[in-house]
Amino acid sequence: MSIFIWIIQLFFVPALSPLCIGIIRKIKAKLQNRQGANIFQPYRDIWKLLHKDEVISNDASWVFRFTPYIVFAVTLVVGFSIPIFFPRIAGFVTSDILFVVYTLAIGTFFMALAGVDTGSAFGGFGSSREMTISALAEGGFIFSLLTMALIAGSSNLFDIASFSQSIGGQYFLPVLLAFGGFFIVLLAETARFPFDNPATHLELTMVHEAMILEFSGKRLALMEWAAANKLLIFMVLGANLFFPFGFGTDVGLASISLSIFYFLIKIFLFCGAIAVLESTIAKFRFFRLPDLLFISFIFNVVAIGLIYSIK
Amino acid sequence: MLFCNTNMIKEKIQSYLPKNANVEYHDNLAIFEVSSTQIAEIVGELHNQKKLSLKLVTATDERKEKGAFKIWYLFAVPGDNFFICPFIELKNTTDFPSLANLVPEILNYERRIQTFFGLVATDIPDNRPLILHENYPSNVFPLRKDFEWKTKLKEVTGKYEFQEVKGEGIYEIPVGPIHAGIIEPGHFRFSMAGESIVQLEPRLGYVHKGSEKLFEVLSLENKIRLSEKISGDSSFSHSLAFCQTIEKLAGIEVPKRALYLRTIFAELERLANHFGDIGAIMMDTGFSFGGANGSRLREMMMQINEKLTKSRFLRSVNTIGGVKKDLNKSEQDYLSKELIKIAKDFEEVIAIAEDSASLLNRLKGTGIISLEVANNQGTLGVAGRAVGVKHDTRVDHPYAAYAEVSMGQIPVEEEGDVNARFQIRLKEIRKSLEIVQESLQKIPEGEIIVANITSLILQKSAYAVSMVEGWRGEISYFVATDAQGNISRVFPRDPSFVNWSALGEAGLNNIVPDFPLINKSFNMSYTGNDL
Repeated sequence: MSIFIWIIQLFFVPALSPLCIGIIRKIKAKLQNRQGANIFQPYRDIWKLLHKDEVISNDASWVFRFTPYIVFAVTLVVGFSIPIFFPRIAGFVTSDILFVVYTLAIGTFFMALAGVDTGSAFGGFGSSREMTISALAEGGFIFSLLTMALIAGSSNLFDIASFSQSIGGQYFLPVLLAFGGFFIVLLAETARFPFDNPATHLELTMVHEAMILEFSGKRLALMEWAAANKLLIFMVLGANLFFPFGFGTDVGLASISLSIFYFLIKIFLFCGAIAVLESTIAKFRFFRLPDLLFISFIFNVVAIGLIYSIK
Repeated sequence: MLFCNTNMIKEKIQSYLPKNANVEYHDNLAIFEVSSTQIAEIVGELHNQKKLSLKLVTATDERKEKGAFKIWYLFAVPGDNFFICPFIELKNTTDFPSLANLVPEILNYERRIQTFFGLVATDIPDNRPLILHENYPSNVFPLRKDFEWKTKLKEVTGKYEFQEVKGEGIYEIPVGPIHAGIIEPGHFRFSMAGESIVQLEPRLGYVHKGSEKLFEVLSLENKIRLSEKISGDSSFSHSLAFCQTIEKLAGIEVPKRALYLRTIFAELERLANHFGDIGAIMMDTGFSFGGANGSRLREMMMQINEKLTKSRFLRSVNTIGGVKKDLNKSEQDYLSKELIKIAKDFEEVIAIAEDSASLLNRLKGTGIISLEVANNQGTLGVAGRAVGVKHDTRVDHPYAAYAEVSMGQIPVEEEGDVNARFQIRLKEIRKSLEIVQESLQKIPEGEIIVANITSLILQKSAYAVSMVEGWRGEISYFVATDAQGNISRVFPRDPSFVNWSALGEAGLNNIVPDFPLINKSFNMSYTGNDL
């Protein structure tokens, strides 16, 4: 049974993540009075890219060549480590909040290195912007998970997800604040509005896209796929840590089915929220972004303060 | 109208002319020769003291007839459809004095004359060639008459010197000429300190097609078609300006109904492009709702154009002596009804957009040009009005039926930022909708084209100019005929040629991620600049 769960945990995120991208794009298109592409288009894009030739700059070092594998592997490992709809079973040693946060940071680190590696000006400023944003986002990220860990009394994500279901009403405000902070980090880390425009063709405004501008073919496919994985990972964390309704308490069929059902609804709502956000606001000017990330941090500091006052 | 009371006009313009000038009148254009030594004084007086606006500077090669090159400095008398054009003759010399230090906007015209005519502007502050690149032989001057237009040139190599900023932490970003989006090609060289732009130098010329030379060789009918392609999105305005010059040279009076139709079509072109622009500005801030709706409104206009004229870009509508396409009663009703619907639709979209704090935050204070820069560079059209340059050719030098429709005040803003250019477009859209409706009510019955247009005889050794307010700004045409009455020179000056020089200023001290937005708010034509 454990093996079975492990396999599902491993393949679930990469299998579903392109669909989330497709759904977000479809909702955005509808909100803009457009028809929009099929929700399965991201799968086709990845498939197409995997069959394309690559062009790699002569100046590229091993960093550039290996980064797509590292970044993709990071999302696989993290995707495997987070609570999706199975409760905690033996063997999940990688589910600590610190492990998850800093494994993702390894991916960001290599992506930024790869951005500057080819010496293109776009990659350079993409990496510079990405490091500015992710350095500021890290505080909010850690603290929002820490808020939940403090409430649950454990830094294991599965424990937090299970415990969260029985959280008393007195923790309503800290959880809400922590989620606010987390959602800002979600948008920053996954290169969504108002931090970055995933649909832009304007090279000068790009952050994430500028870093991967030099990639093509298979490596680009991996980078795109990894970005989709990362988005799903953040949505899963948001859904299961802060809104753990129906999260599986045992591995029985009924419990798991209910868990999957709730899970899919929650992910769909997250996709909808991102799509609505991206259709209704403009991207922020770059130098306003630190303020927003600082708000995320403040939310979490207040949340932690509240927890201690409650306890 | 075009043929004003000549005597009255002559009296009025006397005040602008130097005494004892030997003035020659070509319809509404007064030309007089000035010696090379005096030209600085004359141009300085007309521009800096009498505050006439400079329309264009160009050269003609008249070595065959007069044994000289001529350089023309065209000025407009405000409030009248009358133009003053001092010129200098260069006999046995290729040197002419540079006036760029006196009137900064002349610089690019002089660089252009140097590049294409091989004339040398002495003491010019920037000696680099314009538009033709370093792979072009530096001793070949394509607009001289002895250059055969079909000549195959040898490719040469060379180096273009960009302006360089030096200092600790300054780095350069080369962008283009090929961009990630589907836009025209142009190279931008940014010198950066962190995310702020210390210097921005656009380099264009990638879509140079030899249009000016082609104007010398094509048949008249093809010349009209060529004028429609000078900048494809301004097809109607460009062909209108060209047709107007030819009509002056041929002494044709265009029927009234045709003038009204020209007004209507010109405004339809403006509407389509302004809708596209406001959408594109919003899209570049990432406000996708506004972006998508802007494109949708533009497309609605394009489809109306197609339905009325069989051309989405209103091509093949203008011709010498009138227009080829009439609007019958039912078409007029259709247009009127559609525009009422579009106006309502537009106001709904704008109400939502102006309610968005995040959008306005991006637009306001971004890409500011000062009034001083606009005046120095002669910034035209939307970009000029956005900083308070109160100039609109439709009001200042009315053509077509603009003198007969109520134009009201020229809309101006003062901030000179992206938002001001956005707001000017909104106001002009509202105005254009009114102009079309008013023209549809006032349009008289009658012919739409002059009869017997086939036998067209142009005045010999004559010059004509014409201005049209395209949707970007003022389009000017300068046309000359030779001793046989054939067109020997056409210089189409798209507003982009003038406005590109303000872009560098607008970018200063902004952050690089805002540059695409700034560029979009100007939305200049690359092909109109490169010709």
